[in-house]
Amino acid sequence: MPQPIETPQDGPGPASSPGRGLIRDLLIASAGGLAVLVVGLSAMSLGWIGDKGTDAPATPRAAREAAYFQPPPRSAIPDGPDGEAIRRGEALFMNTPANAAAFTGNSLSCVNCHLDGGRRANASPMWSAWGLYPMFRAKNGRINTMEDRIMGCFTFSMNAQASSSGGPPPAGHDIYRDLQAYMHYLATGAPSGVEMAGGGYPKVDLPSQGYDPRRGAGVYATNCALCHGEDGQGRTNANGQPVFPPLWGPQSYNWGAGMARINTAAAFIKTNMPLGQTGRLSDQEAWDVAAFINSHERPRDPRQTGTVQENARRNHTGGKTFYGKVVDGRLLGGGVR
Amino acid sequence: MDPGAQIYASACSTCHQPNGAGVRGAVPPLGDPAFSDPTVLVAIILRGVEGPVRVGRVTYDGAMPGFSGVLTDAEIAQVASHVSRAWGDGGAPIDSAVVARARAKAAGAGPWKGGQAMAGLSPALAPQPAWTGPAPWAADPAVLTLINEGRGEALACSGCHGPQGQGGDPIPRLSGLPSAYIAAQLDAFASGRRSNDQMSGVARALSPAERQALGDYYGRQSAPSTATPSLGGDRQAGARLALQGDWSRDIPACFACHGPSGFGGGPRLPALAAQQPAYTAAQLAAWASGKRTGDPGNLMGDVARRLSEADRLALADYLAGLPSNPAAARKDRR
Ligand code: HEC
Ligand code: HEC
Ligand code: HEC
Ligand code: HEC
Ligand code: HEC
Repeated sequence: MPQPIETPQDGPGPASSPGRGLIRDLLIASAGGLAVLVVGLSAMSLGWIGDKGTDAPATPRAAREAAYFQPPPRSAIPDGPDGEAIRRGEALFMNTPANAAAFTGNSLSCVNCHLDGGRRANASPMWSAWGLYPMFRAKNGRINTMEDRIMGCFTFSMNAQASSSGGPPPAGHDIYRDLQAYMHYLATGAPSGVEMAGGGYPKVDLPSQGYDPRRGAGVYATNCALCHGEDGQGRTNANGQPVFPPLWGPQSYNWGAGMARINTAAAFIKTNMPLGQTGRLSDQEAWDVAAFINSHERPRDPRQTGTVQENARRNHTGGKTFYGKVVDGRLLGGGVR
Repeated sequence: MDPGAQIYASACSTCHQPNGAGVRGAVPPLGDPAFSDPTVLVAIILRGVEGPVRVGRVTYDGAMPGFSGVLTDAEIAQVASHVSRAWGDGGAPIDSAVVARARAKAAGAGPWKGGQAMAGLSPALAPQPAWTGPAPWAADPAVLTLINEGRGEALACSGCHGPQGQGGDPIPRLSGLPSAYIAAQLDAFASGRRSNDQMSGVARALSPAERQALGDYYGRQSAPSTATPSLGGDRQAGARLALQGDWSRDIPACFACHGPSGFGGGPRLPALAAQQPAYTAAQLAAWASGKRTGDPGNLMGDVARRLSEADRLALADYLAGLPSNPAAARKDRR
């Protein structure tokens, strides 16, 4: 079976966002010195549980807060009409399918990829994105306003083509205003026009062995399936409420999304997955598992008009992708509903 | 913050969402006029509801826990008044005496069986879909014997974990924990990977098939909560950690893994809601000190090591104050 295994000779694809992520190492460097405390539980005095607890180290927080820009906390959202707009934006960001019901074609929310409500450094936080727009983007070859950018997120990451309206919110829609009110709020005090430490997803260089979805399958089974499911469809609870988001298939991002590029997914995964375990995967594992999840079928690229191959030549030359390539004897990119 | 809004944030927002919009296809939005009638609102909050309910033009088929065991009359009045003010008709605040009367009427009744059972509360609710109960399920008599009578070293589970597996501090609640998780813990006690004076001998005396069967049994139970917050922890701080985490310390929201309301996140991710608080706090401390290990991928150990003692008490008390999962017997959809 033909297996596209690329090696560094063809050079790493363009970064998902220009060179960022300088101070990530601090996160790992600061996990030392555990202070030991005795836990004073009532149950222990009964003799049931004779255990010593450890208290978490007290220093890392301060160290990290100095390292990255700190957006204002949730509790500081003001009252009044501007506060209401910020809260509507936050609700859109956290629970997109319910609050932008007519324009969201899958079960994802913005927060699934921009962690901690768009606050988390190195998870493409909104406080760093805010000041960068308007910006020239190669994806469409023109200056993009923040509204254009968010429209792109709906079109690709939220697969708006499968929503009840069949597309993203039309230009000028209140959804854009509210989301921007929220981003503007998160960026309170942030500089504009400069790339900030912790912005974007820190790029991961293509490792010596390239990337391989077959190796990635093993990484997936060990590190991801517990939450995202053996079948990559995520999990919902008994009420049907999402617990873990899907990684491929009809409810995932579509072939046009940034996350469908292997280099971008590797960057996201390396710093953010498994949840709560930054730095657990090697660069090699991150690339391989990114290749694995992006070697599965997902909703079609909404820009496709002719064949998959034509669209591959027109829109998929920039990054590392399996779009329009044959994996396990199957041409990828045809889409699923 | 208004006390009703605070109760809403910690008890209802995991499902109905902070802005009351619900979850598409899963949890109804609040503010539907028929359900904003104070009688209906209070009746639902007290007893919970499961099975098909029509809200507006959409029929939901989920399960909502009742709060009669975990909220006082005054608290239910406050949260109902908040819901009505924020999304409903905004009528006069609901009085706790109204809740007390409804509670007396509801005594002993389980969750409302779908919208049809509630239809008598208000004419505006009609029409409601018919109730179809879950498929009947009979416990294996051999498992019931193990639970209630035991066998040699395998002492009767009910003697320590309570007749319905509801636990009694500091012995854990088993009711509604995922079957695979229970079986895995029994395996771990048997092999020595997890050790406990009471449990190790019990687990060693059970065959692997019996461990699985006991997991299947307890995994289907939905005993009401018997836990009460008792450690003096800061429950508001616990709610923040459970719902949002504290990413400045690399702590994800507990509910990101343990399910949106702490009802469990998958076969290996146990429910935390309604767990006995001293047990919860002790387990978190055991991970932090390295005494409990063996969790898949160190996912829990890595989180627990970042918690302080105050966090552990706050979390344990917050979780103990939540209702138990009413829908343990219903299968996770995916
Ligand atoms: C499936 C994951 C995913 C989802 C869901 C998602 N995004 Fe993104 N987003 C990305 C990726 C990946 C990038 C990186 C840019 C790229 O290469 O496309 C990005 C970039 C962005 C940027 C630009 C960041 C920068 O620094 O330039 C903004 C703004 C943004 N997303 C907003 C949103 C909003 C608003 C939503 C919800 C409507 C959303 N995203 C949903 C994955 C996602
Ligand atoms: C402990 C559970 C857990 C594990 C293990 C885990 N994830 Fe995730 N993952 C999550 C959660 C939760 C989110 C959504 C984050 C949020 O909303 O805050 C997520 C989001 C994602 C996303 C972006 C959203 C989407 O659906 O496209 C990708 C991609 C992803 N995970 C890939 C992986 C990969 C690859 C692995 C294994 C290396 C992995 N995850 C392991 C819990 C997990
Ligand atoms: C575990 C998730 C969950 C929690 C927690 C929860 N609910 Fe519900 N609620 C539901 C579901 C699901 C339904 C629909 C039930 C069905 O399908 O049988 C519902 C229905 C309702 C309804 C009737 C329909 C409507 O939308 O108006 C009201 C009112 C309500 N809930 C209020 C509350 C309040 C107030 C709280 C907090 C005290 C709360 N709920 C906590 C899941 C939940
Ligand atoms: C003598 C009292 C006692 C008996 C009898 C007993 N248990 Fe336990 N069980 C405990 C205690 C105490 C713990 C808490 C262990 C710890 O702190 O690690 C526990 C823990 C457990 C756990 C782990 C729960 C979790 O949330 O991780 C399971 C599962 C369990 N017991 C199942 C059973 C079953 C099934 C039986 C009957 C066959 C049984 N137990 C009989 C005292 C008992
Ligand atoms: C990244 C995923 C993840 C996060 C986040 C997480 N947990 Fe866990 N937790 C787990 C897993 C996996 C287990 C099962 C461990 C095992 O099988 O031994 C677990 C088990 C537990 C248990 C033992 C339950 C029992 O019945 O013995 C407790 C208590 C617990 N978690 C509390 C918490 C609290 C409190 C938080 C938030 C501070 C939290 N968890 C966050 C993954 C997670």
